[in-house]
Amino acid sequence: MKLATIGVGNAGSKLIDQMIEFEFETGRNLCRHALVINTARTDLAKPQQLDEDRRVLIGDTHQKARGHGVGGDAKIGAEVAQTDIDEIRRVFDDVEIHEVDAVLVAAGLGGGTGSGAAPVVIDELQKMYDEPVYGLGVLPGTYEGGRPALNAARSLQSFVNKVDNFIAFDNDAWRSRGQTIEQGYEEMNEELATRIVTLLAAGEVDESEVGENAMDSSDIMRTLDTGGVSSIGYASTDVTPAKEGLLANFKEVDDSQSESTDAAKIKGLVRRATNSRLTVPCDVSSADRALIVFAGPPDVISRKGVESAREWLEQEADTVDVLAGDDPRPDSSTLAAVVLLSNVTDTPRINEIQDQAVDAQNKIQEQDAVREEEIQSLITDDDNDLDPIV
Amino acid sequence: MKVALLGVGGCGTRLVDQFVRTEHRTGRSVTNGNVLAFHTESQPLSQTTALSTDQHILLGDTHPAVLRRDTNSPATDSPNSSHDPQLQSETSTTTSKQGASSNSRTREYDINEYGVGGDPDVGAQVAKAERPEIRRALDKIDETEVAATMIVAGLGGGTGAGVGSVLLEELTDIYETEVYTLGVLPADTESDQRALTAARGLRTLVPRAASTLLVDNDSWSRDRDAVADCYQSINQMTVDRLLSVFGAGEANTTFESELRIDPADISRTLAVGGVTTVGRATVEIDSNAHGLLARILRLLGRSQPSGSTPVDASKIKTLISRAVQSKLTLPCEITSADRVLLILSGPPDTISRKGFETGRYLLEEETQTVEVLAGDEPIQNTTELTATVVLANVTSVPQIDELQRRAVPTEDAVTTTSGPSTTTEQTATTDEMNTQTVEPSADADSTSAEFDFTNAETASETTDSTEQ
Repeated sequence: MKLATIGVGNAGSKLIDQMIEFEFETGRNLCRHALVINTARTDLAKPQQLDEDRRVLIGDTHQKARGHGVGGDAKIGAEVAQTDIDEIRRVFDDVEIHEVDAVLVAAGLGGGTGSGAAPVVIDELQKMYDEPVYGLGVLPGTYEGGRPALNAARSLQSFVNKVDNFIAFDNDAWRSRGQTIEQGYEEMNEELATRIVTLLAAGEVDESEVGENAMDSSDIMRTLDTGGVSSIGYASTDVTPAKEGLLANFKEVDDSQSESTDAAKIKGLVRRATNSRLTVPCDVSSADRALIVFAGPPDVISRKGVESAREWLEQEADTVDVLAGDDPRPDSSTLAAVVLLSNVTDTPRINEIQDQAVDAQNKIQEQDAVREEEIQSLITDDDNDLDPIV
Repeated sequence: MKVALLGVGGCGTRLVDQFVRTEHRTGRSVTNGNVLAFHTESQPLSQTTALSTDQHILLGDTHPAVLRRDTNSPATDSPNSSHDPQLQSETSTTTSKQGASSNSRTREYDINEYGVGGDPDVGAQVAKAERPEIRRALDKIDETEVAATMIVAGLGGGTGAGVGSVLLEELTDIYETEVYTLGVLPADTESDQRALTAARGLRTLVPRAASTLLVDNDSWSRDRDAVADCYQSINQMTVDRLLSVFGAGEANTTFESELRIDPADISRTLAVGGVTTVGRATVEIDSNAHGLLARILRLLGRSQPSGSTPVDASKIKTLISRAVQSKLTLPCEITSADRVLLILSGPPDTISRKGFETGRYLLEEETQTVEVLAGDEPIQNTTELTATVVLANVTSVPQIDELQRRAVPTEDAVTTTSGPSTTTEQTATTDEMNTQTVEPSADADSTSAEFDFTNAETASETTDSTEQ
């Protein structure tokens, strides 16, 4: 697939940056156009893979933002995107849309810029183009608190209603002991970039290598066509004895694995991809459609294995709409399986976020109601005897 | 966040001076030279070390009610004006000014009778009369360079509370950006007069300022003989915390912060208005684990400050908990906080994500608000991890209640003595009657003890016209 990508806010921008880095490292060619949008000048400078003219600062003339971010306020995030929509459109004019299959908008839903501005950008894209617009959204973890949950719950509604498919990523599922903040976010971004790029870049490498079982962009788009929320699973295994390759530092590499991969291994890989950490935990059987991409050297992808893996997923996902295909990577030293579960409707984490958001909204409204009164009573003595100076 | 600092009065001037010094020492840049000090008395201005003379603004030197330190003090023929104020008796100060004799306020040792003599109404009149001078001075502030402006003042002082109130009025009229106030509340050992000034100052400043950060001298001066002895340490504590909050993200560092505190995070936290207080806690990072060589390298600045072992998550959670439970600049009931901001500063490779997130969640539970913004500030070459917690719009503050309790009888006493033929023996109810009914007398212009707004206006107009 060929994509035009837009990262909105800090999390979204870093994700796009990481995706470009990953595709560059692995010789893929997915993101034909990339653009990052942010309300904070400092954060806008962070992505390393994008040119200066592919970064758009919005809200620098807005009274409350002024290029310093929106302070986690989604309302201001939406406001500044609305105000500066012409600026965004102008930069997007450079994109030759007929060259791409779809547009991907990435954002963190807990912050103010991503949750507020991204839906505005998506609206505009849907107006301008016929191509599908996909969303890639990072859901805040429980411990990020009530305000991010409220931002996310509200933004999720806008996202799911506006995009052709929403790929969710749950921060909580990727939190582990011993990480520093820096490592934590970097690792998560890497994991997510690996999954997204491996999935969507299928069929875009060397035209001569396209085999009969090769995955095609249209297959992926058809699977995503369901709308709703999707989750991605991933597992990889080493297929060369030498571990010195570029990808040797991959997680989940099975160290004992050195012989060629047979059918059982292929099936095992898919089973692992589906049962291991999905980008958002969900009941697999609630999926509407599913798709498996095998990325690796063509000679290790056993046809029998692919078919039995597909059948297994058909049962697990309780749907007959399961596609499986290859993404031949002759020079790769790993074999990876990516499982896309499209339109999963049973995602406990989203329910949790919604509950947390309702509580947060109630608390915020309670505070708003008594704020002025409480300040007045604090600064006024009991009998109101004291007068202000001026 | 870039902030312009405007010190007002003695306390404000000292704080701002110390702030700039600390900025220079720590390499953090918050003010960018956008600093001014306003006072009605020249000595505190001349005692600053980090401010240049064009950042000193002496107000009221032609105002009849202002006592100048030099001998050619206009409109006063007081024989005491050239003497050391500390040697002057309490009674002589009240008679040292024209018009002041009709208003015999209780003057105590902690009132500096130079300048406006501790009278906030005189302070306000002086500032109103000198609006053109104030505006000229404000031209030195580049509003486009800063995200906000902060007035720094001791609220017990006549200049701090009086000039500060008018300055705030002026700034909120002309600036598009937020104007904050940092106020220092007088201790219990300071005079009732100062308590009254501070209580009235709060009533004036809090509704108008975008947010009012308060420092309570009383809680920070306990177990000491006099507040004056610990001015220095209270000021340093205040400056350190201010820098932790507004300096976050402004240090010159090559490290990128993952969860940077944006100026918008700070302004959103403070946007609820009201009274704000700040807590802080620091923990030493255990560096022994990395061996002697690593320590030497670190001393030489040749290695990462603490290797790559993150500080245990529970330790960070404890640190954040300590910060919110610590002695706040103004002690308060933390559950009354409206919005909260957490800044964790330290070597970037030590801040555990899990600890950070659980700590933030803990803040949400302890303060009972969901509006908690949090960020980290990577600092190289430090062995300390610091958590700074801003509690915005706290509404349950015992010390403010206490100030009001002291202020009300003081105000009654003042109005009593200023009213015609009333004595202090009269009951409080009569005093209140007087407050309302006493007509402003013609000669009670600048030092009138009436707190009636229209009266103050009249007085300032009088002053204006005499100036012209």
